[in-house]
Amino acid sequence: MENGVIGILGLGAMGRIIAKDLASSFEGNVVYLVRDPASVKSLAKRYCATVRYADVSKPETVARALKGINVVIHAVHHEFNLAVMKACLKAHCHYLDLGGLFHFTREQLKLHNAFKRKGLLAILGMGAAPGITNLLARYGSDFLDRVEDVEILVGMKDKSTYKQVSPLSAAYSLQTILEEFSWKPAVFKNKKMVFVEPLSGRVPYKFPDPVGMQKPQFTIHSEVATLPFTLAARNVSFRIAFDDDFVERVRILRSLGLTEDREVEVKGKKVNVREFLISFLKTLPKTIPRKIDQYEIIRVVVRGSKARKKKELRVDAHIHGKDETIDKDTGVPPSIVAQMILKKKIQEKGVFPPDLVVPPELFFKELARRKIFIFLNNKRVN
Amino acid sequence: MVKFDFVVLGATGDQGRICGKDLLKSGFSVLLCGRKKERIDDLLKFKRARFEFVNVRDVEKTARIIKKSGAKVVLNCVELRLNLEVMRACLLANAHYLDLGGLQEMTMQQYKLYGKFKKMRLLALLGCGSTPGIANVMARYAVDKLESVDHIDLGFAWDSNIKQFVIPYSIESIIYELTTPAVVLEKGKFRKSNACYYEGAEKIRGVGTQNMYCIVHSEVYTFHKYFKQKGLKSVHYTAGFPEHSHQAIKFLIDMGFGSKDKVSIKGCEVGILDFTREVLKRQKQPKNYQETENIWVKVAGRQNKMNKTIHMECLTTSLEGFEEAGSNINTGMTISIMGQFVLKGMVAEVGVTAPEACVPEEEFFEELARRKMVVYEDGRRIN
Repeated sequence: MENGVIGILGLGAMGRIIAKDLASSFEGNVVYLVRDPASVKSLAKRYCATVRYADVSKPETVARALKGINVVIHAVHHEFNLAVMKACLKAHCHYLDLGGLFHFTREQLKLHNAFKRKGLLAILGMGAAPGITNLLARYGSDFLDRVEDVEILVGMKDKSTYKQVSPLSAAYSLQTILEEFSWKPAVFKNKKMVFVEPLSGRVPYKFPDPVGMQKPQFTIHSEVATLPFTLAARNVSFRIAFDDDFVERVRILRSLGLTEDREVEVKGKKVNVREFLISFLKTLPKTIPRKIDQYEIIRVVVRGSKARKKKELRVDAHIHGKDETIDKDTGVPPSIVAQMILKKKIQEKGVFPPDLVVPPELFFKELARRKIFIFLNNKRVN
Repeated sequence: MVKFDFVVLGATGDQGRICGKDLLKSGFSVLLCGRKKERIDDLLKFKRARFEFVNVRDVEKTARIIKKSGAKVVLNCVELRLNLEVMRACLLANAHYLDLGGLQEMTMQQYKLYGKFKKMRLLALLGCGSTPGIANVMARYAVDKLESVDHIDLGFAWDSNIKQFVIPYSIESIIYELTTPAVVLEKGKFRKSNACYYEGAEKIRGVGTQNMYCIVHSEVYTFHKYFKQKGLKSVHYTAGFPEHSHQAIKFLIDMGFGSKDKVSIKGCEVGILDFTREVLKRQKQPKNYQETENIWVKVAGRQNKMNKTIHMECLTTSLEGFEEAGSNINTGMTISIMGQFVLKGMVAEVGVTAPEACVPEEEFFEELARRKMVVYEDGRRIN
């Protein structure tokens, strides 16, 4: 037990990447916390992990399952973030999650004192975006005396070949994407939080090669909830690019009312429209790759001043998914940071966004070991 | 129970509500039958309207309700897949039957009840909406002006002033029409072709240039039945959807939202198409939304030993008092008009038949004009 115990709550797509990374980099024990233990039996055997039953919709099962676990990585949907955090307080367990889509994050920060009192740490949004983005912003801002703008942009080029493509193929959780496409994105503008229309801001932007020209759009994201305050920035925005066809399809779904979070009566049964849509989309043919070749660039442009001179820094994370999907950029960071907590490289107590507690250089070094490279003004730094 | 002039089945659906309202505004007493009473609160304010819960799948119970109502004419506005059940209920209740159409396949099934309706001295008038319905009467009008008929092209096209998707008519019918192989009559023989195949763009009066698609429709079958003695060899049906609407419908079909399969959600099995229908039904029209629809028939034949084509059109726009219905009034109001003709004895046929065989054209066009639906013959208004 001297290396500690890390729990992974939820073994979906992200949970499995986290499990893989922990299996190759962590010498302590790993516990999978899942609703259906049988579903991860073979994975647990392969990675020498143990399995416990936990159902996020029943918080008491989570608190029970967390017993003896030092850090839990919560990889289930963000609507359960608060409940899992409260379970961590009960079970005395440090907490990491993959993001809270702005609104959840704001609520989660209110548990700061409760975590601090218990001597626990919760890091919110420790995936790629939020997560890597926060640390790129922090890294860039450390070169400045004063931060004016933080502009986050995410773009991807997919050169993979596929055996079969889903009619609505998405890079990450469709539920999250549908929320991102439906909720009004927050943009911090002139020191004020404003909410713009979903799908707005979709103008061409040239990323470094091989990603090239993309059309990133404003999206509701956690970074905008925290960076304006942690970096004292005047303007903060988040934009992510999706391909035109995908955007058009989601746009039609929205225009037809098929993404709404409301109930309809179908033959006497009350059905939540969005929940039905997600269940329905899961029945569609899955995307089956033949050869994966994806490239993602997460760019943070930080503008401000140094010694009274205006300065602009472009801090990029490059992720090349060759025979593995680029999703590793979301699964790898919480694995790295959970291990940092156990090794006491992070000692703060309370609830924080990553940029306030995770040491960027050390984190980037770990990313490099996983072939995620960081560039400052196009020059590699890790 | 009070004696009623009409029973409207499916009265809480979109077409049933238009039909019921038109009958009530014309002063008739109507038993409005359906499943969601709350959808017709406005109609139940009419003194001569009553509601009865009816599930037409229960044929005997439906027949009992029709019989008890005392109505002699039943207007069937339920989904076309239930047409046969309603016809059987009418036979049991000794009532005349009208419906909004059954596309090709159902229509052929319905004609098999011809003998039973004839024996009971009852009329079953199939396809009494806009198309089939108005189109059939216009076809009869034109056919009668020619010595012989060679081919008929017909169809519909519509558009709206605001380019926002509003479900144009029953989603079941739309999905069926767009996914079922189209049937055309060519050289006197029925031939199947690809579902909803693109036929190019055409300029349509009142609508503008529209992309046209060949789809399955019942007129191809009934025109052959009633006009073949005039030499009719070809019938071709095309539909024009505005691009924004066609894209949305095609997307729904491609994604599988028209599937009859079920999805399991929180332990419940929910039909995909049932879900789609309920969600789309709730789509509100934008403010000041207006539609225009053109139903047309081009009848080509010979007159005075010369080739001649007669181009009939019926133009419908959104009507005050029926704003929510858009151009769909041409369907719900037509079955009301034809029902009134049957009640008044203006249609005296018995057996199973179609509007082109028995509905008096001029009186019908006059009734359309009263509802601001304009009929043109070769570009000249005639009603």
